[in-house]
Amino acid sequence: MPHDWEASTRRIRATFAGLSDIDRVPFFPLACEELICRISGKTLRELLSSPKAYANAAIATYEFIKADTLSIPTAYAGPAEALAFAEVNNKENVIKWSDYKVFMVKQGDICKSEEDIERLEIPDHSKISLWDTCLSATNLVKEKTRFQQSCSLGIWSVVQELRGVQAYRDMRRNPELLLKLCEKVYQSQLDLYNFFIEKVGASRTIFFTGYAFNKHMMSFEDAMKYEGQFIKQLQKETKARIILHNCGTNPYFDEMCNELELLAVNGSHPLDIEYWVEFKKNHPEVTILGANIDVSRELLNGTTRDVEKIVKENIKKLAPGGRYAVSPICCLPWGVSLNNIMTIPKAIKKWGTYPLNFES
Amino acid sequence: MGEHETLLRLKNAIIEGLSEDATYLIKQALDEQIKPKRILNEAIISGAEEVGKKYENGEFFLADMLLAADAINDSMDLVKSKLEEGTHYSQGKLLIGTPEGDIHDIGKTLIVALLQGQGFDVIDLGVDVPPEKFLDMAKKENPDIIGLSGLLTVTISKMTEIVSLLKREGIKAKIILGGGILSEESCEHIGADAWTKDGWEGVKLIKELMGVV
Repeated sequence: MPHDWEASTRRIRATFAGLSDIDRVPFFPLACEELICRISGKTLRELLSSPKAYANAAIATYEFIKADTLSIPTAYAGPAEALAFAEVNNKENVIKWSDYKVFMVKQGDICKSEEDIERLEIPDHSKISLWDTCLSATNLVKEKTRFQQSCSLGIWSVVQELRGVQAYRDMRRNPELLLKLCEKVYQSQLDLYNFFIEKVGASRTIFFTGYAFNKHMMSFEDAMKYEGQFIKQLQKETKARIILHNCGTNPYFDEMCNELELLAVNGSHPLDIEYWVEFKKNHPEVTILGANIDVSRELLNGTTRDVEKIVKENIKKLAPGGRYAVSPICCLPWGVSLNNIMTIPKAIKKWGTYPLNFES
Repeated sequence: MGEHETLLRLKNAIIEGLSEDATYLIKQALDEQIKPKRILNEAIISGAEEVGKKYENGEFFLADMLLAADAINDSMDLVKSKLEEGTHYSQGKLLIGTPEGDIHDIGKTLIVALLQGQGFDVIDLGVDVPPEKFLDMAKKENPDIIGLSGLLTVTISKMTEIVSLLKREGIKAKIILGGGILSEESCEHIGADAWTKDGWEGVKLIKELMGVV
């Protein structure tokens, strides 16, 4: 049976809106470059050879895993943005390409010195071939499936790629310099957002990777200073609603919901399901995409029964009342068996069809 | 200034991550004829422990840990050369690297600095390290512990490959994994001896594995 993207759209919209007219809990996976390469059998360079090739492979991948969401991965707002900075600042040699996974950037090489930050040119994304391909592919995906696309952005993930570990020294020794870099990254993200609108159309939601918001990395005040204030500015300028992704092990989800207006959170830690039950009580307007289905646990090491068990537990605890989608965190690595991945949509159909019934 | 005050100021400089102040105070302490071993124990190691406690209490974050580690390492360099001849101060030897396919190094840089500050000899293989290099260096250096650090979920399969190669080749060193991608289950699946998701916890685990707690 062909994949019904219209039905997926209805599920996702109703979930975000907290509406009850929904047939089942949606499946919201993050299929990164690696999974698309794996399913399509193509190298990343082959995928990037044309928007059509990338769009078709992405659609085939998301349909194969029976997802209710669909996007062209843009390297979790880190490496792809670093690549754009590398190109306009003549530092392409810091990019390392791989065949069947995302390219990477040598952390800290683009902004090694203070002078590098002062002189850092902000990319014009329309002139970066990789971004042109990714966003053209995103538009093709939208045209073919009519599935609404979100722009994917981030600040600290990019800062870490550009400045590396030195960013943490700057935080105490040269905060002004670090803020200058954050500001430049923000300007670059705005340029990317505008290019997205030009190529794909309006983005009602922004999938924002907020890596600063990890308790073991920095205080909440610092996270707000170096990333949160820019999320606020972004919200003000774009009027888009934010889905906040953080796959770290100790995220500030509660604090962020109190400080920022979020549509949804996408993360898997803390792994205690009761945290998420409490989170849902405390933030009833915020959709949970994730909870405690972490790729490095049941999906990687467990059996299909283990996967079904955890999906059932998540649905049982979080789906009543809506505003919940099953979302393993984070990207699905090569070592995860396809059987385990495919168990998720099966388990959702079995346990997540409304009205929910956990008796059988 | 009395010996006690010099050592206290040195300890505080380390806690605050003030490298220049710390190295100045080390020189002053040596001028005051304070024994290097006393400087090491009462200021440097004691300061490092205080930094760890502050991190655990949520007073310190990655930035503070990193600066303190810088100060500790600069201080250690000065003191080590003054330790009595024949006194080799080492808590153990560790070989560390980020497996092939992953080039993230923030977590690894931090743990290397912290371990050196705690008196470990650390051989950093860098990032994107192929399994064979881990094996060759393990044979050559005979480390007590081998650390594999990674950020990406895709690194897990490479960690499995490295651990199985090391074990197959009879490497006896304990293997510890580091990175936010890991869990108890994945550590068991990969076949490592221990895992950690943050730098300070990693230091404590390594000390436990070495029996130097």
